[in-house]
Amino acid sequence: MESAPTLPARFFVLQPASGVPIYRQLVDQVQRMVASGQLAPGTALPSVREVAELHSVNPMTISKAYALLEGEGVLQRNRGKAMTVAAGRRSQGTLAQRLRQLEPQVDALVLAARQLELDASDLAEVLRRKMGGKS
Amino acid sequence: MSQPVLSARGLGKVIKGRTILKDVCVEEHRGSVIGVIGRNGAGKTTLLDILLGFSPPTSGESKVFGHDSLALPATVKGRIGFVPQQDELIPMITGAQHLALHSSLHPRWNGDLVDRLARAWEVPLDRPVQVLSVGERQKLSSLLALGHDPELLVLDEPAASLDPLARRRFLQELLEISSDRTRTVLFSTHIVSDLERVADRIWILREGALAWSGELDTLKESVVRLQVRARRALPPGLALPHALTQQVRETWASALVSQWSPGEVQSLRDSLDAEVEVQNLGLEDLFVELHA
Repeated sequence: MESAPTLPARFFVLQPASGVPIYRQLVDQVQRMVASGQLAPGTALPSVREVAELHSVNPMTISKAYALLEGEGVLQRNRGKAMTVAAGRRSQGTLAQRLRQLEPQVDALVLAARQLELDASDLAEVLRRKMGGKS
Repeated sequence: MSQPVLSARGLGKVIKGRTILKDVCVEEHRGSVIGVIGRNGAGKTTLLDILLGFSPPTSGESKVFGHDSLALPATVKGRIGFVPQQDELIPMITGAQHLALHSSLHPRWNGDLVDRLARAWEVPLDRPVQVLSVGERQKLSSLLALGHDPELLVLDEPAASLDPLARRRFLQELLEISSDRTRTVLFSTHIVSDLERVADRIWILREGALAWSGELDTLKESVVRLQVRARRALPPGLALPHALTQQVRETWASALVSQWSPGEVQSLRDSLDAEVEVQNLGLEDLFVELHA
């Protein structure tokens, strides 16, 4: 078998002081990257130990995240080898599912916009510009 | 389930009429990294001392590896490593001499581990303890507690005097030590950020009582702050479910609630006809809110 590319451990952004538990941050990031196709099927994930050491966090929280992702079918466990992104995941991330993953960020944005008395068209304009003018 | 490594029931301590601890109940199993947080004087040191049998409780009982804390057999004591807040080093002799002394007392001394840690933590072993800094003494006393490969490691404010870099290295070693899931680590700290990195379980002590104990992830997910902005004035008797603290002013309410699950937000929005924002709080904020 040819060797698959490996995602470097520093690719993950983990913030221990956040209100979102570390395992949840990791699960969300992997789900987003897989849904968007940034992580292609077959890509190897860094080992639990590597991620834990680089970020100085408890390895248990990393294995918890990987186990959850495996349970959801996003990752695949390989005997004696690194975990990999499971095949055929991209197609399963429907538009609705991907939008749902963005909901917490959208809620926060909507709230901030209301406080600033901005309306939907003001926001849409900014989003269009930031995301590269696709309409 | 396996025998708990540590357990306590109804633990209380009164010193000269002052209540230091009240009704502490805990049970911890092998492989956990448990962080104890509390303000100064919340009873952290007293609790650790009682659990290890250094001082008797006024009420209740505690056990280590199934044995009463006050009657631990020598074999059980040999499975425990303890780093007190005030070290008990001998000022006139060097670190190396301390290590030699301890290794002669313990048949199972792990010289390789000690050598590796001494290098990783940059502990000066060739100078008498009296010329070492507080941080260096702290590291040396941790080395001495780890040398006999304890199954239960208890540390009272182990990292308080270390600079951020040394603290990070120290924590990494703690994680390394606990990573095979056969050892248990219990440590007290004021430094909330350390705890968030390494602990999987926490005890929050507040005025001698256990305000919360359990998994850190569960705490962060189930205790949240709700910010409510209604279109009309909220009912004066509004009681948000499982609110620990709550403030209501006309169309606005803010509450800290427990037992939260994300599915509840929509029904709350509907029933209150309001915008409801859910804020997950970091441990520092949770700690402050739980003391409000």
